Amino acid sequence: MNAWDELVERCARRRNEKIGPLSEEAYAELLLAVRQNPADFADEAPEQALLVLARALDAYRASLGHDEMLDDEAFEAERARRLAALRAECERAAAIDPGCLDARTTGLLAAELDPDQLGAALLDLGNAHRRDSAPEGDAWDDVFYRPYVRLCAAAARVCLDGARFAMAASAAEWVTGITPSDPLGARHTHMLACARLEDEAGLGALEARWAGHESAWSHLARVLLLYKLDRLTAARRALRGFDQLVSGGAYALLRPIFVEPYLLDRPEAAPCSFEEALMAVREAEPIITDVPEFIAWCQGHDWLVESARTFAERSDLDW
Amino acid sequence: MAHDSRREDYLRMSLRFALSLDGGDPARAAREFATFGRRLARERDSLPQSDADRAFHLVSLATELVDYRLPFAGDALAETLVSRGRALLDEALSLDAGCHDAARMRFSLDTPSAEERHRFLSERADEVRAACEAERERLCDTLDEARRPLGASVAMRPWWRWLADMAECALICGRNRAAIDACERLLASDPRDLSDARFTLAYALAKLEDQPGLERLAARYPALAAPRAADDAWIRLAQIALAHKSYRLAEARRLTERLLDAYPGCAPTLIRQMEIPDGRFARIRVPAYGEDELIVAVSEGVVLLQEGMERTGKGVLGAWLARAAAELSGEKYDEGVVGP
Repeated sequence: MNAWDELVERCARRRNEKIGPLSEEAYAELLLAVRQNPADFADEAPEQALLVLARALDAYRASLGHDEMLDDEAFEAERARRLAALRAECERAAAIDPGCLDARTTGLLAAELDPDQLGAALLDLGNAHRRDSAPEGDAWDDVFYRPYVRLCAAAARVCLDGARFAMAASAAEWVTGITPSDPLGARHTHMLACARLEDEAGLGALEARWAGHESAWSHLARVLLLYKLDRLTAARRALRGFDQLVSGGAYALLRPIFVEPYLLDRPEAAPCSFEEALMAVREAEPIITDVPEFIAWCQGHDWLVESARTFAERSDLDW
Repeated sequence: MAHDSRREDYLRMSLRFALSLDGGDPARAAREFATFGRRLARERDSLPQSDADRAFHLVSLATELVDYRLPFAGDALAETLVSRGRALLDEALSLDAGCHDAARMRFSLDTPSAEERHRFLSERADEVRAACEAERERLCDTLDEARRPLGASVAMRPWWRWLADMAECALICGRNRAAIDACERLLASDPRDLSDARFTLAYALAKLEDQPGLERLAARYPALAAPRAADDAWIRLAQIALAHKSYRLAEARRLTERLLDAYPGCAPTLIRQMEIPDGRFARIRVPAYGEDELIVAVSEGVVLLQEGMERTGKGVLGAWLARAAAELSGEKYDEGVVGP
């Protein structure tokens, strides 16, 4: 989530409502002015709360860079400290504006709850803030509605973690229905859920809708689905596709790396990049562990292991 | 109902014996039959039997060792039991290469991988079905009308166990559609569901979160001619899983309460969630609604319980169920303990 961009847009729109409507030119100038110094324009509680969150997210991300030198114990301590600081700021933001959904969602996600409790808390939050009518057209265009969409996309991912695959699928489907451009990548969650539910028609429809936008998730979902359906020749072909089309995909699958929880939404990454592969494998973890011999089957393909090893050497990763 | 290898051994021998008496003097036949039980127990070799009957007898001996004694044996005895079981099954196969139970159990003893077992079972499935059907035709030709249904059932049972095993392996491998297919084939072949395939089916439907499918299954219970209501631990756990998966937690709790009503005093079983080895011959025989039955159901149910990214290793549903069972019963549950 780029909280600053949204803050700028929200401040400008509020100001425009107050003093406008401004001409297009004047509005563009206003935008520039707000961008120069958003804090000066955050004069309503919702924007003040968002300002607190934007700063807290910056601080959180900045502190992520200092981990490499730490040993395990120090890393855990630093991580706990960083998450606690973020939670405290989220609470501060929510105190300024209890309606600041982004702060409340982030606060919950940073609390590292079990998916059972986290999912329930997110759904309660969503139910308390559901609006009767969604914006016309692509709901993403309404910057004030985005926090709710983000909350639903997060709930979909948490449902997947909590082995609630049908709920994950329906929440993700709702998100892609209301934001057809799917900037949050809820389709990825939906695809993984289809794979786990062995819903070939469902995954096929998603692949068709998003043809040309293949991702680490779509390739991995296809491999898992075919494997679960016991069509191993096709699954092997799909695995080859995953290996060839997703950078470092083989490595991510065979040597999963810890991925920090998403705060607030999934970090952006280039399609089929190694970063995507790491996220896709992490998100698919509940599905992968449910097919207990899947990884052993993957490891049985020499070309996959070779590809992972080569990637590790090239990228200076442990093997 | 469950498969009982000793009882089946008895049935096979009594059918064979009855056939040998047919056509003779009815009074003499009745007299002879009166001594059958004693002769089976003490002078088995004096009774008419084929190599297939002898092989099955060895299977039933092996079943006692590996399904009923092994789970309670210490390490040293366990090895002895397994090697004796293997030897019995090898002997069975040397007597009757078409002894499908022996082949299946033998492979299972040597193969911890459910994936490989599933492959083994699927690859040979058609062959086993054809052989059992041929045996059924052959047997039915020789039996009179009264004995024909029993003869047909005995002939088909190795195939039913084959399918039940295949379904269970598929479920463990995460191949839930394949598990459903195998269960449905089994129910079509044996509508009385001697194998309790509907239990495995309930879990596979819950894995696919197929609520209507699970409701249809419960409604099918009477048609399956199962002598039990749809309140066994399997269908209940499947229903609990579905309620929990859609955050209908009050309903999940109510269902847990009903499960505990049907299995009184069994809350500790729901809290511990012990895993026990599956029966090699078939699902092990235990009294209905007893603690042991719940242990078996919970153990098979780890595919539902242990799913999701949960910290203690119990799984999302497993942790919830342990907590709910503890609250409902007043039993202790230490959440801090990483298990099972």
